[in-house]
Amino acid sequence: MNRRGFLQLIGATGAAALMSSCNRVSSVVGVLSSPTELVRFPEKTEMILLTDRPPQLETPIHYFRQDLTPNEAFFVRWHLEGIPTFVDLRTFRLNVGGHVRQPLQLSVDELRSQFEPISIIAVNQCSGNSRSFFKPRVPGGQWKHGAVGNAKWTGVPVKSILDRAQLKSGAVDVSFNGLDVPPLPSVSDFVKALSIDHARDGDVMIAYAMNDQALPMVNGFPLRLVVPGWYGTYWVKALSDITVLPQPFSNFWTDKAYRIPNAPNGTESPKDLAKDTVPINKFNVRSIFVRPDPNEILHPGMQTEIEGVAFDSGYGIRRVEVSTDGGANWADARLDPEIGKYSWRRWRMPWTPRNRGQYRLMACATNAVGETQSKEQWNRSGFMWNVIQKVDVKVG
Amino acid sequence: MTKKTKTLVLALGLGVFVAGCGHPSNISKEADHRIANPKMELMLDSKADSPVHAIVMPHDEPAFPPGPGRDEFVAACVVCHSPRYITMQPRFSRSTWLSEVNKMKDVYGAHISDEQALKITDYLFSINGKAGRGQGPKGTYGE
Repeated sequence: MNRRGFLQLIGATGAAALMSSCNRVSSVVGVLSSPTELVRFPEKTEMILLTDRPPQLETPIHYFRQDLTPNEAFFVRWHLEGIPTFVDLRTFRLNVGGHVRQPLQLSVDELRSQFEPISIIAVNQCSGNSRSFFKPRVPGGQWKHGAVGNAKWTGVPVKSILDRAQLKSGAVDVSFNGLDVPPLPSVSDFVKALSIDHARDGDVMIAYAMNDQALPMVNGFPLRLVVPGWYGTYWVKALSDITVLPQPFSNFWTDKAYRIPNAPNGTESPKDLAKDTVPINKFNVRSIFVRPDPNEILHPGMQTEIEGVAFDSGYGIRRVEVSTDGGANWADARLDPEIGKYSWRRWRMPWTPRNRGQYRLMACATNAVGETQSKEQWNRSGFMWNVIQKVDVKVG
Repeated sequence: MTKKTKTLVLALGLGVFVAGCGHPSNISKEADHRIANPKMELMLDSKADSPVHAIVMPHDEPAFPPGPGRDEFVAACVVCHSPRYITMQPRFSRSTWLSEVNKMKDVYGAHISDEQALKITDYLFSINGKAGRGQGPKGTYGE
């Protein structure tokens, strides 16, 4: 039986009615519409398996029909084999030290009870999201477009914690380390840093809740650094140590890894690799198609809705243009209300295809400062993909 | 298997699937572990408000075919990551695989001699290589 046969079977058995009251309805569609392997990790729903140890799990696109990506479907990406699988909140402490007058050891309860909480809706996106679309192909996690998610993060601004720790004068950087450990002593621990001004901007925060729930372990329980508008590599999971430094931070993960060409949109040529590189930082502007699903059945004369999400580093999405004829003609999509400057913004466009046949859909987002998407792009690490997406659909 | 039988099997499978919907925390991998490891059961059954939070990671790593260099690959690479890090990649040229192995050795800290690096490269190229003299991009770090 082919895939379409299976779909028909599901319809025939009336499973659709059953599934409407079931959170996992979309997973069923995901299983059928994706040729990739799905897997379930603890506290997670079926996700697209990239790797199992350490885990890299991708979110099936249909979850992006919701403004907030469910915790159980939020993408997962770890660097080192030794990821935390056991946390005892009675003994866990967030250690704050280094170039401060008052080092701190804070329990999660103390973070919740002694500091004014804030909530921010923010996109978290892996630096390598959509890497598998670069030509020529590059080594690394072969993500499609699902290494991204949008969530409501609740916790404490890093600024509040640093204020309590009382910075000594001359602080330059702040480093962030989590509970994950390297598999060999020769492998660098995963530690990332932000400038002191960035860390104290009031938006960079330590989240103890994600969509009003505790974080899944593989998404960083019990605490995760949230760096709105910046790539996920800075969002240190299972955050346990904050160190204020009187000199610039330096380690493998900053000096060698996660660097982009110091050129517009991080682009370089495969034949002439950039010598000048800088650490990856803010999101560029991009949009992602959510509907129609490539396997959705469309009919001539039947109205459907083209839908997607668009985001940038926090300036705000101002325009999304959509083409249904491969880029010959473009029309403005309708934008849903903004739900936060670091959130993604949903766009929609009704569409009634007239004839049977193949249609090429394209979408291009522009933000409040006029930044827009790339026509072509390449870099050796497969970072920051924001080429105008093309989706081919069949009307029949 | 006849078409009818297939339909029945699928329908039954779907029934089980749908029945499981209300219990997203019932993870079959964990269930398997409970039988194998009674000590773990205590942790996994801890109440939601328990201060102890624990998970058991699934183990489902692909087995790799025999071939020259496989022993070196298993000893040097699989200690730190699943072989799925290889099968996830597209087919690469030998030079790209060599630069990946050298990156693991020189940058990430894998314990590999130059001689082993060549054997591992041959093995990776034999299972996921791209024919031709395509010069892959070098020096790719990170993710």
